[in-house]
Parts: sequence; structure tokens; C-alpha cells
Amino acid sequence: MKVLFVCSAGMSSAIAVKALKDEATKKGIEMEVTAVGTQEFEEEVKNGWDVSMVAPQIRHRFSTLSVFAKEANVPCELIQPTAYSPLGGPKLLIQVMNLFEKEK
Amino acid sequence: MFDKISLFMDEKLSTPMAKLAEQRHLRAVRDGIIATLPLIIVSSMFLVIAFLPNQMPADWALTQLIRANAGTILLPYRMAMYIMTLYAVFGIGYSLAKSYKLDGLTGGILAELAYLLTIVPVTIPAANEAVQSMALESADLTAYIASMPGGFLIPATNLGSAGMFVGIIVSFFAVEVYRFTQKSGFKISMPPQVPASVARSFEALTPTLIVLLVVSSITMWGGFDVHGYITTLITPLVTASDSLGSVIVLCLLGCFFWSFGIHGWSIVGAIARPLWMVLLETNTTAYAAGEVIPHVAAEPFYQWFIMIGGAGCTIGLAICYLIRSKSAYAKALGKTAFLPAVFNINEPMIFGAPIVLNPMLIIPFILTPIVCATIAWFATVMGFVGRVVALAPWTLPGPIGAYFATGGDFRAVILSFILIGVSVIIYLPFFTMYDKKLLAEENEEIIAK
Repeated sequence: MKVLFVCSAGMSSAIAVKALKDEATKKGIEMEVTAVGTQEFEEEVKNGWDVSMVAPQIRHRFSTLSVFAKEANVPCELIQPTAYSPLGGPKLLIQVMNLFEKEK
Repeated sequence: MFDKISLFMDEKLSTPMAKLAEQRHLRAVRDGIIATLPLIIVSSMFLVIAFLPNQMPADWALTQLIRANAGTILLPYRMAMYIMTLYAVFGIGYSLAKSYKLDGLTGGILAELAYLLTIVPVTIPAANEAVQSMALESADLTAYIASMPGGFLIPATNLGSAGMFVGIIVSFFAVEVYRFTQKSGFKISMPPQVPASVARSFEALTPTLIVLLVVSSITMWGGFDVHGYITTLITPLVTASDSLGSVIVLCLLGCFFWSFGIHGWSIVGAIARPLWMVLLETNTTAYAAGEVIPHVAAEPFYQWFIMIGGAGCTIGLAICYLIRSKSAYAKALGKTAFLPAVFNINEPMIFGAPIVLNPMLIIPFILTPIVCATIAWFATVMGFVGRVVALAPWTLPGPIGAYFATGGDFRAVILSFILIGVSVIIYLPFFTMYDKKLLAEENEEIIAK
């Protein structure tokens, strides 16, 4: 499955991306995860992603971003703050999988 | 109790305030200016190079070579950072048009047109007979007349940060006109068989006409000096932003948002960045001209002396996590979060530690930047370190960034290390307290099992 992360510049979420990838590999789930900045999101979300996740520090932009995701028919959710850290992989994976299952 | 207060503050205060910064015009300004940062960063490095001789032994051949050619080395900078508003305006128009779901390219071009119309091109008058007869007797004057460029010239003064606010206002005007003509149908529409790109160029005719007539009437035919007028209006704001008080207020605001896990600096920056750009570019221009550098608190000042390791100057906390952790959680976090912190990425600390909604760490998170700001302010004002003149990439490690931002001042590196030390000292007691709590919880869990 393909997961798109969006944060302010696409840098900090790279760390959460790694945590999620590692956790997915551990659980044997095949997952492609990429992080982009807010300005690239509108275009990028159209490129066939299964779910999109918004970093908690830009939650004030969530409403704008989720509209872009909705237009592209990609489910979109705000990452829980406690899952957004290098050690938050397990929590993050559960959240991503739940969102994916819910929308399937 | 704390949970209730923080939930209340988050829902009623920080999130609504943060949403305000998402207002489309503010967002357009933010995105437009951010789009120019790469060329500001790269071209301000030319400035560092051109003034390296100040740091080098005077008798080196390289020193003399650079010094003799400083003006030529600075030419790319003149076409980039020196006229940055020219670039920002396009980005602002583009972003604003996109936010209205209009054609971004048309928005950008209209904004650029409106902006350039505020600047009146000049020609250098040809030498009259009296001057020419004098030139016959003076080889210097003949050479001087021959060196005068012909044709129309665009004065560059107001293409830089000096024109930033005019640029912002006219971009808004241009795109709003564009939106109005599109919405009201006051435009030339083509039948559907006409290709989209051709139709678009016709649709842009009416807004172009309105923008052209209105702006030229004011600035060119009416002779109203918008740049002079806006500068008079803005100057008090610029002066106010260059004070220790406003530095502390902005730091407090930034950290306040981050304490709720909202990207504080992107919100503060959305409003303050145009002012920071004016401060920085004024400094840079003075530096390039070899004059006294006027301002202290341009953005690089915050970046390299206050936000070392990220907002809240968390480099100290990252060091505490790396070398003083007793609990397993803190040890694990320290290992993964330290390296990003060196490059000023501290979301792993903010959400991992966590600092968010954690009063034990919020206290030093707010205190450290204020202490660092005060130290750095006085160190700069008293002339112990150079003032910031260049924009270095924000992901450079603190001391290196401080070196570049001050135009290659070694004393800035020393200050950066001192501030890192200060950060460790302030964070350490709070960290120790929190780490103890984590350790106690971990031990309880082990006993419970």
C-alpha cells in the first residue's frame, strides 16, 4: 500500500516515515511511504495514494489539506501527536491500517 | 486539571489563532516569499565570499584577488537577493490565484505587471551641446558620457525588500481584479472550440487592462510615489520589529504554539517574515556597500542564536537526552532524536520527549529561547559578534550556520557554542526531573509484570 505524509517542509515527517516503514517491515506489511511539504501536497496527492496522513504540527492546515485529499479520493487523517516520533512506529502503523481498512 | 486547561487553551486559543495564519492572503504571502528563499540563500553566499578577505591575511594573493573583484563577484547577488521582491511578487500572485482556483500563471503575471507599474522607468538624457563642448576638452568626461547606458532603465532600489509591502499590496489588487472579472463574467469569453490556452489569454485581457490603467494612473500619470508613502507607513513597524522586546514576544508566540504541537514558527513567520526580509536586506545592502550594518533582529538572528536545534533552542535538551538519560525510553529517544536536532529538526523531540502538553519541559522550552535571545541581543549590540547579513540554509548545524549568516564571523561560532551550553544548563534540571519520572514509571511496569 502507498502512504503519503505531509508536514511543513517534508523533513520532520521523514523521521516518522522511517518509524512507520520499519514497523511495517517488522509486521511483514509491504508499504511505500513518502513525505512532502504542504505546498506540494495538492499536486502529489493525486498520484494514486491509498491514504494520506497530516503531521500534527500543521493541524491548523488540516481542513485545507483534507479538501485536496477528498478531491483526489484519498482518505486523509491527522496523525495523533503521540505517534509522531521516532518511537511512535507501532501506534502510527495501527492508525494507518485502521484508516486504510475503514475506507476500503 | 492541567489537561482541562490545556484542552481549553488549545480549542479556544491556539488552534483558532493558528487558523488565522491560514487566511488565504497571508498564506499567499508566506508561500510567495518562501519560494524565493533558495535564491536568497544561494546568492547571499556570494556576499560571504566577496567579503572573505576581511577574515584572511591581507598579503595572500587570493585575498587581493577577491578584494579587487568584489564588485564583479557580487553581480549575481544583485540579480537575485538584491531584487527579491521582483521574484516574491510572482509567487504571491500565483499562490493567491491558485487559492481561488484560478489560473496560477495568469495570477503571477498580473501581479508582476502591477508591481512593475509602480516603478517608473527612466532614461538618461543625452549630453546637450554645452556638455559636449566641455567633453571635447576633457577625456574623462568623454569616457564618462560614453559609459552611460542608453534606453530605458529600471531603478532597482524598490525591486528589493524596500518594495516588499507595495509588492504585496499590488499583488493582492491584481489577483482580486482577476477574480472579480472571472466571477462577474466581465471578461471576453471564447466559444468552447477554442483551445484552453488561447481562451485563457483572452480571459486575461480585461483584468490586465484594469490593472494597467489603475496602477499606471496612480504611479506614472498621477505621479504618486507609492513606494515613498508605504515606506513612511512601514518604517515604525520595521523599527519596532528590530528590538529585544519584539524578539522576545515572537519567541514566546512561537513556543506557545509549539507547546500545543502546532508549528509555531510557520505561523509567526507568516506574519513577521516580510519585516524580517526588510531587516535582512537592509543589512545585506549596507554590508555590500561597506557601510555600518543597521539591524540586529533579521530572521537569521533567530535561526542561529535562538533556535539552535529547532524552536525552543532544544539542542540542549537533545544533548541531555543523549548523554544523561537513565530511563530506557529517554535513552532510545536520545539516540534517534539527537542527529536530526543537530540539523535543527526537532519534531522528534517535541512530539517524542514529548514537550507538547508536558509542563515539566514546556517551562525550559519557553525559558531557554528568552535567555538565549537576551544574551545574543546584547552580544550583538555591544559588537562582540557581527550582525546577520546572509541567509544560510536552516538545516545547517548551529555554529556553521552562525558563521555563514554573519558573513563569516568566527566570534559568532563561539557565541553559538556558548548558547548551546546555556541551553544544556537550563534544560538539564527539568530533564533530570522528567527522566526520573519516566524511570519510576518503567520500574513500576516491571514490578507489575
